[in-house]
Amino acid sequence: MNNMKKHSVYSTVFPYLLLLPAGVLVAVFKLYPIAQTLASGFFEKGNFTLDIYRRLFRDPNFTNSLWITIKFNLITIPLQVVISFCLGLLVSSRLRGIGIFRVLFFSTFAISTTIAVLIWEKLFNFNNGLFNSMLIFAGLPSQGFLLSKTQALMCIIVITTWKGCGYWMIFFLSGLKNIDPGLYESAMLDGAGVLDTLFRITLPLMRRVILFVCVANTTANMLLFAPIQMSTQGGPQGSTNLLMYEAYKSAFKYADQQRASAMITILVLIIVVICFLQFKFLNSSEVEE
Amino acid sequence: MSYKKHKTLKSLCLYGLCIFWTIICMFPVLYAVLLSFRSNNEIFAYALPFSIHTILPVQWTMDNFIAIFRDYNIEIPLINSLILAAVAIPCSILINGLSAFSFAVFKFKGKGILLGLFMLSFMIPFDAISIPLYRLVNSLGWVNTRMALIVPGMGNGLVMLLFIQFFRGIPSTLLDAARIDGAGWLKVFFKIILPLCVPVCITAGLMVFMEHWNSYMWPLLVARNDNVRTIQIALSDFRTEYETMWSYIFAASSITLILPLALFFPFQKYYVQGITHSGIKG
Repeated sequence: MNNMKKHSVYSTVFPYLLLLPAGVLVAVFKLYPIAQTLASGFFEKGNFTLDIYRRLFRDPNFTNSLWITIKFNLITIPLQVVISFCLGLLVSSRLRGIGIFRVLFFSTFAISTTIAVLIWEKLFNFNNGLFNSMLIFAGLPSQGFLLSKTQALMCIIVITTWKGCGYWMIFFLSGLKNIDPGLYESAMLDGAGVLDTLFRITLPLMRRVILFVCVANTTANMLLFAPIQMSTQGGPQGSTNLLMYEAYKSAFKYADQQRASAMITILVLIIVVICFLQFKFLNSSEVEE
Repeated sequence: MSYKKHKTLKSLCLYGLCIFWTIICMFPVLYAVLLSFRSNNEIFAYALPFSIHTILPVQWTMDNFIAIFRDYNIEIPLINSLILAAVAIPCSILINGLSAFSFAVFKFKGKGILLGLFMLSFMIPFDAISIPLYRLVNSLGWVNTRMALIVPGMGNGLVMLLFIQFFRGIPSTLLDAARIDGAGWLKVFFKIILPLCVPVCITAGLMVFMEHWNSYMWPLLVARNDNVRTIQIALSDFRTEYETMWSYIFAASSITLILPLALFFPFQKYYVQGITHSGIKG
């Protein structure tokens, strides 16, 4: 009897015991810092205040950085999603040897951001980079690339897209593989063209995957940091000063943790809003059909 | 006949596109590897005007590889990164695997909420909380120790999801049979379930490895000391304000690339399975 009771207590507690290690880690190293980020943006000396945010929006460094982050994402996210979707279509075709291309396209994922940035920095280098060398060879004027106020952000976009597309491609590929090939065959028999099939069959069926990639991609790109820190340091003239880098500078160069926390809160808020909009947008097109 | 012709034309176009993107993917890497076999002087001498030797070495040399080991002790950060991965992989598999086992097999109060809380917290990326996290790690006295690099990232949502998916696929009859035979849950976990887990463990291990080997922001903040510095941070040491040792940078990069690529090519199938399971179906 006693033994039974002991046993049942044990089995009610047991599942929680299993969760304990991960739970403690998440609570200490995830939830607590999240709470702290939120709190330090809203409380000054124990009092609730919006001063930090008021100051932030009057600060041209911040508004410039916010605008650049938005601009960067408005270009990068659609660009990466479209390219990786096309790559997914390409490698899902039943060509001989397509498996090799699949692995090659995906392999840029295994290359660290650090190395990717170093390689592209050399290619983009103003004085002795390969691109300028080729441009001069072709009789064209050499370009500033990472040193140019107008081109630096585009260069960062090229680097992240080059590195990222292979990874996102995999999600599209596995989604495309799940589509019943019979659907394509019957569409072909009905005389549907390539574009018809794409817009009427593939895209609607891929909605969930597209949504997932959009959301995951947004989170990754909004917080982009490494390429900026390594190559442009926010320059030239603040033209690549993404919010995450501005927050980093604020916390570790100017020791203003509150400002950094407030900026991160805004950043996470933007991520949440964009993800919400993407959900709404991609789900509403489901209702229409 | 014309249909067949149309088909060959189509596959030719597709091959063309494939080769085009392969060049975009692979050329920069190849270019970097080639640079690692030439001296810095040669790289500068042949940069302009453009010729075949802007890309191909004139005098192949191994000096860069010798120099980065002899003068820059590149083996220390390499070993540091390896140690991190070697410790983090089993810890992460064990901790997240246990939680996943709990979520997948047991019924208990608050399960839905707890699972939701876990997943929600994993959705906030590590980098976003790096600033308060730095303060926390600093107050624990972990800055410039391996603890700072390993412990905060150990609870990993992707790994947990992967295991949850897998455990749900195990037939409950198998577990019940073992339980009736009188085996305790821990025995069931270690004797029956873990041996079945090898493929998931490989996937999870690869993910954790890539994360640690390639991470940049967090090690930059907490591990500046030479003894714990990781390889990705060490790579930027060859650049100073005054000069850039391109040949050393790319020699070190080539070495750093080998390991993830060597793991990646044979195991990429597992990886693909892993990310698709955890991402879309989860």
